[in-house]
Amino acid sequence: MIANLLDGIVLGLQFGLLATGLTLIYGLGGVLNLGYGQIAVTSAITVALAMDAGIPVLPAVVLGLLAGGLFGLLLDLTILRPVYRLRGEARVLLSLLLTLGVSFIIDGYLNWRYPLKALNLYIGGGAIEILGVLMRRGSLLASAITLVTITGLFVFFRSTSLGRAIRSVIEDEAGARLIGIDPKQMLRLILVFSGVLAALVAVTRSMITPVDTTTGLSITVFALIVTVVGGLGNVVGALLAGIILGIVNVVAADLIGSYISLIILLVAAAVTILIRPAGLLGVKE
Amino acid sequence: MLEVSGLSAGYQGNDVVHDVAFHVDQGEAVMIIGSNGAGKTTLFQTLCGLLSPSSGKVLFEENDITGLPAEQIARLGMRFVSAARHLFPRMTVEEHLLLGAYPYKPDPETMSIVLDLFPRLAERRRQRAGTMSGGEQQMLAVGRALMSKPRLLVLDEPSTGLAPLLARAAYEALAVLRERGLTVLVTEQQVPLAIAYSDRGYVLENGFIRLEGTTEQLAANPAVRSAYLGVT
Amino acid sequence: MTQPSTRRAGTFLIGGTEAHTSRSLPALLLPITAVGALLALVPLWLGDSRVLMGVAVLGLAFICYAIGFNVIFGSTGQLFLCVGALAGVGGFGATVLADNVGLPILPSILIASLAATLIGGLLSYVAVQRSLGVIFTGIVTLIFSLSFDALLLGLSNLTGGDTGRLINSGTDTFLRERVPPYYLMLALVLAFLLIHGLLRRSHIGWAFRALRDDEIAAELAGIDVARYRVYGALIGAAMLGLAGSTYAFTEGRISPTTFGFGHVDVVVIVMLAFGGIGTLLGPIIGAVTFTIVDEILIDFGQLRQVAYGILVIVLFLWMPRGLIPSAASLWRRVRRRVLARS
Repeated sequence: MIANLLDGIVLGLQFGLLATGLTLIYGLGGVLNLGYGQIAVTSAITVALAMDAGIPVLPAVVLGLLAGGLFGLLLDLTILRPVYRLRGEARVLLSLLLTLGVSFIIDGYLNWRYPLKALNLYIGGGAIEILGVLMRRGSLLASAITLVTITGLFVFFRSTSLGRAIRSVIEDEAGARLIGIDPKQMLRLILVFSGVLAALVAVTRSMITPVDTTTGLSITVFALIVTVVGGLGNVVGALLAGIILGIVNVVAADLIGSYISLIILLVAAAVTILIRPAGLLGVKE
Repeated sequence: MLEVSGLSAGYQGNDVVHDVAFHVDQGEAVMIIGSNGAGKTTLFQTLCGLLSPSSGKVLFEENDITGLPAEQIARLGMRFVSAARHLFPRMTVEEHLLLGAYPYKPDPETMSIVLDLFPRLAERRRQRAGTMSGGEQQMLAVGRALMSKPRLLVLDEPSTGLAPLLARAAYEALAVLRERGLTVLVTEQQVPLAIAYSDRGYVLENGFIRLEGTTEQLAANPAVRSAYLGVT
Repeated sequence: MTQPSTRRAGTFLIGGTEAHTSRSLPALLLPITAVGALLALVPLWLGDSRVLMGVAVLGLAFICYAIGFNVIFGSTGQLFLCVGALAGVGGFGATVLADNVGLPILPSILIASLAATLIGGLLSYVAVQRSLGVIFTGIVTLIFSLSFDALLLGLSNLTGGDTGRLINSGTDTFLRERVPPYYLMLALVLAFLLIHGLLRRSHIGWAFRALRDDEIAAELAGIDVARYRVYGALIGAAMLGLAGSTYAFTEGRISPTTFGFGHVDVVVIVMLAFGGIGTLLGPIIGAVTFTIVDEILIDFGQLRQVAYGILVIVLFLWMPRGLIPSAASLWRRVRRRVLARS
């Protein structure tokens, strides 16, 4: 049971970090990025290709993170331009459809060009004992990196002026503009940032299990589920929901079966939408 | 300092404000008064850059700022406090004030001036804006605007939602700031209050500027007296 | 928009019904007959190839799916991202009933279609009750879609899991021959077109249009928006279930990919984006074009998905009403300008 709990927390932290990127984009820009999973996969494949070309692990990973950020920037500069001209529900709908189109393009291209490519950063070496449970080094390293990143996120948003500025746009866009903050600029930053986050999660995930060209859609789905349960636009909610759903996922998969655990997660998101659309910690409007 | 000419603006093609012209000189306190629906808020939204004018010209310190978006206007030395306040509900008083100075580093001296002016804010430093009362929110909105050391402060109906005592306190704070060299422009529905604290004014009616003059002149004007001061 | 009416909705609507249906019945039957005649000719030239006839039957199935989605989304504005899943309830439901429970084929199809209808109605009812907007309706139905998919994979003894299963019922009947299934599906297509066409001209269709264009005005005009939304979902879901179950028996085998989101919903959306959402013949044009293009490009494998992605982006950016309607209105504008000059 403890083993499951720990595995669940490991998975949950990654869910949370993943969802953070998606929820920030929604909270700031009112845009739903369905190409999110593909950004993660593209970055992972970039790292794999770099390593194939002989580049050592660490620089290859940095390259992957840059690729993620670049992808986010490209989205902002191209596809999202027409989306920004709309407001509210129309904006979400169009962003949904256009990013869906982008995800097809990436998915199709990656699977055509690199059909069996996967990123596998499996960390060798024996398992280490934590709380009486043997955990693989890969899981531990992935969790450590994720925790450090989450902490960094908190520090950034709480204590830096840029972090505060970004939060202010989420809170009240007009208010932010009135004090000289450009929401479009902040959104661009967040898109780059979320791209890097997606890449980071893909890279750390690959330390536990390989990430291949077909996992794009499932990454997007998981990110969406966690985002919805945590409350669209709510970062703390996303992290909390991530951990809870991560634990549920592992425990349910162990006790009942992996398909049923996926259904449980999906149903959790549906129930959230139906009963408490603002999410776990969302602010009621 | 601020010169507006021929300004027309509105929503979805229909102008609410027509051909408005006025000016604010350094050190003055100018009021634009009018009843509900006169177009005060539309005028404010256009000045601060949240709304694009359909025609006209706005000059600030000799620079043409017509049609600039809000985030650019806010960096020119003018700050706006809207009737809706637009505060950040989940952020604290302290965070608001720190943000007010964006993108520059907040000046501790300015911060203490603001907190001296509004001691209630100092008491509630760590309180979230969403949980504060109307009066406190108004103070916070003004305090946030002041953190960037603006030369001109524009307020839209500062008395909105405030009990008379608090409304007067708000205007008194403005008077203190004026002594320190701040130029003030207010749009206001509660005319007696505005008259008491301003030097000059304009009357906005159905989107047009109908009258202008010093506050003494306006206060003596029979049309103004009957329409806005309740004197028959 | 219409003035709020003090008369009850019923009396308001009756006047419209008579005026519309009697006048436009021939106008409706003509295109449908034309389409039917054209499509009936297909086996004459593809009939020798089992593979190509299979593609044609699948194409017809997709027309049915597209009409179903058209009724739900085009008519009542509900974004149901579970087209494949509802068809799958029909397909897998009928398969299990026929093979495992032993029912004859026709009752199996009817019961499974009924199940799909009820599920569609339930989804719509829930969405209406909770006032879910387009986005959340889409997400909830997507969740249903993905859950159904996971369920199919999980219940592998019944469904064959990842690889799917064979359908034994109907093996020695006309359902497995080369050409008859095509005409069976064609009959469904024409029936659905007729239903959709009649619906549009009826008072229900009028209500649909009203509530899709301006929900509040429709409520003020006395239209029970909730009820009509559910009606739309029930009809559309019935079509999907029927099409899915019939198709399953003609194929002889099904797997989760037959009705998966990526394989059905996505394709249906692209087809309708092309042919025009909400139009009568949009599904035909979209499905036929897509089926042909897809077959031609089959050697490009996964690269086709890149093309579809580009198509989706181009379509929703510049021609959100569909390629054909946009081209049609462009043509009308050009013609008007030419006529004005002469």
